[in-house]
Amino acid sequence: MSTKNVAVLCVALLVLCAGSSAQVRTPDQMLLNPDPKDWVTYGGTYTSQRFSTLKQVTTANASRLQSKWVYHVDNIEEGEVTPIVVNGVMYISGFNRLDAIDARTGNVLWRYQRPPVSTTRQRGTAFYDNKVYVVTSDSHLVALDVRNGGVRWDVKSEGGHPITGGAPLVADGKVIVSGNRGPVGGGFMQAYDAQTGKHLWNWSAVPKPNEPAYKTWGGGTPAGAPIWISGSYDPVLGLLYYGTGQPNPQWTGQGREGDNLYSESIVAIDVKTGVLKWHFQNTPHDVHDWDSMEVSILVDANFRGQPRKLLLHANRNGFYYVLDRTNGQYLLGTPFIDKLDWATGLSPEGRPILAPGHEPSVKGTITCPSTAGATNWPPPAYSPDTGYFYVVTHEGCGVNTITSSTDPDSPTGYFESASDPWQAYVRAIDALTGKRIWEYKAVRSDHYGPGLMATAGGILFAPEQFGQVSVLDAKTGKSLWHFNTGDVITAAPVSYSVEGQQFFAIMSGTNVIAFGLSDAN
Amino acid sequence: MKTGLFIATLLVVCSVASLMGQRGAGAGPPNPAIGNAQAIAEGDALYHKTCTACHGANGGGGEIGPAMVLGDRVDLGRSDSQTFNVIKNGMPGTVMKPQGLPDSDIWKLVAYIHALRGTAIDNPLPGDVALGEAVFWGKGQCGTCHMLAGKGGLMAPDLSNIAGTRKSSTIVDALTKEKHKVYGSGGAHLRNLPTMDDYLPVHVTLGDGKIVDGVLLNEDGYSLQMIDTDQQIRSFDRSKLRKVVVEPKSLMPTDYDKRLTPAEFKDLMAFLTRQGTIPPPAPAGRGGGAQQEQ
Repeated sequence: MSTKNVAVLCVALLVLCAGSSAQVRTPDQMLLNPDPKDWVTYGGTYTSQRFSTLKQVTTANASRLQSKWVYHVDNIEEGEVTPIVVNGVMYISGFNRLDAIDARTGNVLWRYQRPPVSTTRQRGTAFYDNKVYVVTSDSHLVALDVRNGGVRWDVKSEGGHPITGGAPLVADGKVIVSGNRGPVGGGFMQAYDAQTGKHLWNWSAVPKPNEPAYKTWGGGTPAGAPIWISGSYDPVLGLLYYGTGQPNPQWTGQGREGDNLYSESIVAIDVKTGVLKWHFQNTPHDVHDWDSMEVSILVDANFRGQPRKLLLHANRNGFYYVLDRTNGQYLLGTPFIDKLDWATGLSPEGRPILAPGHEPSVKGTITCPSTAGATNWPPPAYSPDTGYFYVVTHEGCGVNTITSSTDPDSPTGYFESASDPWQAYVRAIDALTGKRIWEYKAVRSDHYGPGLMATAGGILFAPEQFGQVSVLDAKTGKSLWHFNTGDVITAAPVSYSVEGQQFFAIMSGTNVIAFGLSDAN
Repeated sequence: MKTGLFIATLLVVCSVASLMGQRGAGAGPPNPAIGNAQAIAEGDALYHKTCTACHGANGGGGEIGPAMVLGDRVDLGRSDSQTFNVIKNGMPGTVMKPQGLPDSDIWKLVAYIHALRGTAIDNPLPGDVALGEAVFWGKGQCGTCHMLAGKGGLMAPDLSNIAGTRKSSTIVDALTKEKHKVYGSGGAHLRNLPTMDDYLPVHVTLGDGKIVDGVLLNEDGYSLQMIDTDQQIRSFDRSKLRKVVVEPKSLMPTDYDKRLTPAEFKDLMAFLTRQGTIPPPAPAGRGGGAQQEQ
């Protein structure tokens, strides 16, 4: 063999090797660089952009979409699951259960049900090395074999603390779950080895007496800050980005004077150690149960002329935030709703400047947005093609009541304000300026509604609380196609491809419904 | 007593007794707390202490627990004894744990929840029913828009079973308060797509310029359903309409306490709070239980 031939052979081998490595991704690569045909994790990718690069369905042909199949999930109430799809199989989870179905036809392949049947809402699963993960109502984490639903390992949560309904997230070979240790315990995150189930670390969202954050509770016992939604992950920085819930007592600030860290915050947690790298608190000393559970979207972009690693977040309190995700630095904050009256703005550090008179009262206090929020946990989306951040928003105000002005644990409630009833919109926001670009009114929808998804086909897949699903032009918000699913939608959509056909799937009520072009094949 | 009448009386007594038994507890006699005003009041206090955080004020549903009642009668498929068992033993697979209360307190809670679930037919208001009926069809002009047993108008809800579906206080409020809509807990989830219960006047301009007036039955971003003034149900494609105007307030007057004399109003309430039937007791089991196939 001549030198030239050897060189040709070497090149050929390299091409072959490169080709095959692209074909067979390692378990980590499947998540770091997912095949565009799959929807591998709750947020689509680690960035939680909920952006599918599939583009068989475009603004030009979306009018030819039709329903392809319906899968009924038995024994549940209204579903909130984002399914994941890998290699043509869709995994639909619940507490104690998981259904694996053929993503092309909707036919069930296997079903895992660990007694008892639970109707408590759960929002998704995670995939790693031919395993999918189920959380249970008795605080276990279970790994199932994706081929047949067989249990590969089953561990009780560390401390036996309840795991909440957020989808598990696999990052750095670890399954990340979150929960709440009860009314006086506090929120937590835990990591388990994805292969063995071995417990690796805990992070507590409320501080112990020897920690500096303990001083932000005014002498009261830190409590609350539950974590019940899956987060985002930056594998280069090695940081997980999660949101934390309200401080307890939920509606009265008495007895917990101070900021109440790390409630109502976006937190960056080191995936290797579970140590807090930084935090940004959206609503210090919250008394409206606004949570910071809304999913943060990770984007790399030029911000004011400088390349930056950004974190985008539309909070239930009505403000849209842009942070530097390397260090939590506040870069921008602006309301994304018209009716916001509890704060007059944000300080240069991003801290809300409070307007007086918005503490819940026995008589009832009107505050805008309501406790249902300017948006809520159903996740937003981002399109790198338009540069827009898409979010379901709710205009309107709420009435917050407490039954006692002296008892910090007094039971309370919140109601829609008769003077400012609730109305949902899908809004496109310029991600880097917070400027509103367009909005789409979800007629009749008056409560926090479904999540969103954008695609490289230039479309936004936008379900509505009142059952309608629409395909909107991502640039203009113009509706291109719609379908009435006939039930309440709170879940978020996904897109995937099987044998050359692009599908969209959404949970509506107790069904998962899939759509595709009438003439794709 | 004639035999026929005797049998008829006996049948009524038997059926009422059986109904009471079923409505009381499902099996065995109803607990004395049920319907007892003091027990209900104590149950109210216990409810606010124990249940509101999850199930919302007045059983309206919260972020964690489901609604037990939605302002008016909703068949949740649970008898009093089943409610008792859930409070005592919890619901496996949910965050509803055994509440650790003495049985007497649990019965007070059950009595309170039972009272919440009751409607006007369980406690009709006093007055002259016959005179009230005359007001309904006469001075009150209720029958112009509302229907009773197939007679009356179609532009407003049928009232044939209003007392079986609404509380007396809700009926009084609807006739006397401009803002009578009762908002449920803001944290409650919809279990299905509700009908539009606002009965708002709507004026639709068709492509040819013709205007159709009526009452809005439903709408979404793409279509609109209404009943027009000719009492025909219509469905329109929004993209083919020139204009849609929905008025913010229904045609229903809310000053009947002023339009009518106090005696007339009282009699009308006595009449309305008797329009309907007591619904059959909820069968056992989740969601009302499966009906046996014949």
